[in-house]
Amino acid sequence: METSDKLTSVVSAILKYAIILSIACIVIGTSLMFINGNANGIPISQLANYENPKNPSYNSSSFSPVLIPQGLAHFDALGFISLGLWVLIFTPVTVLLSSLVDYMYTRNKLYTILTFIVLFNLFAAIVIVPYFVTN
Amino acid sequence: MIDYGALTEFLLILAGGVAAGIIGSLTGLGGGSVLVPLLTLFYGVPIEYATGASLISTIATSAGSASTYTKKGIANIKIGVGLEVATTLGAIIGALTFEIVVTHNLQYILYLLFGVVILTSIIPTVKRGKYEYPEEKTLDFTSRIFQLSGKYYDEKSKKEVKYTGIRWWLGEIIMFFAGLLSGLLGIGSGALKVLGMDWAMNLPMKVTTTTSNFMIGITAATGSSIYWYAGYIQFFLASATAIGVLVGSRIGSALLLKISNKEIRWIFFTVLSFLGVDMIFKGITLSKIYNIPPFIGFGIAITFSIILVILLFIKLLISEGKYGNLR
Repeated sequence: METSDKLTSVVSAILKYAIILSIACIVIGTSLMFINGNANGIPISQLANYENPKNPSYNSSSFSPVLIPQGLAHFDALGFISLGLWVLIFTPVTVLLSSLVDYMYTRNKLYTILTFIVLFNLFAAIVIVPYFVTN
Repeated sequence: MIDYGALTEFLLILAGGVAAGIIGSLTGLGGGSVLVPLLTLFYGVPIEYATGASLISTIATSAGSASTYTKKGIANIKIGVGLEVATTLGAIIGALTFEIVVTHNLQYILYLLFGVVILTSIIPTVKRGKYEYPEEKTLDFTSRIFQLSGKYYDEKSKKEVKYTGIRWWLGEIIMFFAGLLSGLLGIGSGALKVLGMDWAMNLPMKVTTTTSNFMIGITAATGSSIYWYAGYIQFFLASATAIGVLVGSRIGSALLLKISNKEIRWIFFTVLSFLGVDMIFKGITLSKIYNIPPFIGFGIAITFSIILVILLFIKLLISEGKYGNLR
């Protein structure tokens, strides 16, 4: 059994549009950052300071993905940049979900299970492991 | 009022990303392998943030190129997804190990390991592309169970190529380590992934490189989310490098098709080996085992990289002479 043509087209389209969406969000976010001179209330001069990784005010640990809708509603730079970065992180999840549907549809039990394991690993990396890292 | 200082800094990082993307694409090692040394050695970025930015850029480049290869039907999604069982697990363990290393202020280990990984990746990457199709080998039980067959249309030879992989289990073992390195060093581990599919699973080179490209995004995404919550994604850096590396890799791919003299790639291999040696020196200095003054380290790194690449080039020429017309 070979990979179905439909899956190939769907995966290719997901990858193509996800990258366009992601880069568009990042470009909008960085443009807003420079135009407004800040992001999420943090001055750009401090955002551009990457010398101290121990300072949590200016990196991802201080901006949970749940804050993205709020950031977008306020037309905030970090909201757009974070959305762009999370679109990138979620692209493989979407690809895997499409593969899972295809394998289930074609009744390919082995690859349904394997895809499910990979999805579980990604779920663990996105939800379970960070809980232990942050606590 | 636009902060021109910050804008200049952003553009400089973006330019670095473009350069990393071009070199990564021309050498076949990917932007991350160049971006991390570039940011840490020349921009003074802490390795924590450099690896975080690199992982994000890796997903962007992988998605960009994998879209084309999957559409052409060369990348084997099924084989890629199956092997991701091991790479995603490896990436989780790698990212957690990274967190432990950083919290214990053992960053020098990352520099040393990074240097070694770059230098050892150059050898299989240099040899890559010398042959298109693998030798025929006896199929094993995993060939049938894990459905390792596939086909693609080869535009160069104008024919349909059918193939069947072997030793799925060995591929999985190698992929676990590829994932581990990806999570630990913020790279795509393309060289190791290619080794897993080419040497271990006996798949054609085109299928290997394109499937590896497809897989890199999934592996990097696994590590990225852990990096996010641990606070290793710095927005300013990650935005500049994601755009820069993506643009650079596109330029690199276009250049690769246009460069008629393939020997020009050796210049980039020299750059890469220089970065590898310099990372090792930085690791040695940070470990306080021996303090190497930067300018001496720089000189030794340049000399060493030139010698290494010349030796590899000679070795390749000798092997070509021995095995006939391979290029």
